[in-house]
Amino acid sequence: MTAALPVADSTVEAHDATRRAFARPGAWWDGADRLRIVVETRNAHDPDLGAEKPEALTGDLPPIAVEAIHGIRNDSGRLTRRWFDELIDMGLQPEAYVELVSVASSSVIVDTFAQGIGRGLPELPDPEPGAPTFERSDDVVDAGAWLPIKREGRANILRSLGLVPSALKLFFDTFNTSYYMRPNAAFSISRPQVELVASRVSAVNECFY
Amino acid sequence: MALRASALETGQAADLEVATGRAGGDGNVESGAFLVTLAEAVARWRWDEVAALREEGRARLGAQQTSDAILVASGFNGITRVADAIGIRLDQRTADASADFRDSVGISAFAPEEKWQG
Repeated sequence: MTAALPVADSTVEAHDATRRAFARPGAWWDGADRLRIVVETRNAHDPDLGAEKPEALTGDLPPIAVEAIHGIRNDSGRLTRRWFDELIDMGLQPEAYVELVSVASSSVIVDTFAQGIGRGLPELPDPEPGAPTFERSDDVVDAGAWLPIKREGRANILRSLGLVPSALKLFFDTFNTSYYMRPNAAFSISRPQVELVASRVSAVNECFY
Repeated sequence: MALRASALETGQAADLEVATGRAGGDGNVESGAFLVTLAEAVARWRWDEVAALREEGRARLGAQQTSDAILVASGFNGITRVADAIGIRLDQRTADASADFRDSVGISAFAPEEKWQG
């Protein structure tokens, strides 16, 4: 086993904050359910990874949430409006779906990075008590996506999770250190190298955006 | 689109077909072929391969540089899922930035109209 690679403090802080945020009640899922979303996201890729979870985390997600997570984790490039509509028809609330997308995708970032640099899968905290806030933004608009997105924004991806503002914040607080999202953002590889890596991952995931 | 934008900034003509797998080589980016291999292994969670590439990256790029490449790959492994799971449309800003190569490198094929059909 070789030594893990170095990590900037800003990334350590951001990813630690995300793991703590997973355990707190969100807008449409409580802390235990948010952690279950993370565990199921791992499980969707490899059941051995999903087997490791906090002892305090018992119980299961609704099957419809599990279906959503497996699609997002394993086949995101082939998701369709019909697939999404079926989830909603079967009872998954749109706002809960938005938060699920945020938690699952944020966990993909944190887990991919930790494993990629050789530190192994991060431990998850115990769930914090409390009920969801049932927050929903009215500052949204139909922009041709499957769901209303934030009314204003430079690009649709930055508006995508706007139906649930805390979900939008969770995701971009996690993503921000991975790209040129901040005025002082800098990487030790060149901009063309950054863009090449980003473009290759987008192509591997068959993402058109 | 971002790759082209950065190429314009730096005056370095990067070959996007390297990123989409339609061409090999470095794509006019330093250590481009290695970075493409690393990015794909990270995105696909092939950890045995990533472990070997980490060591190659230490020697070829440096430890912090390899870590940063993995950080970028990790971020895009998440954000692509958000884009695809919300079914967002291409906005004008992004479309304009990518219009002249979107079809030629095959990105458009990732967005069949059935993606938005109910």
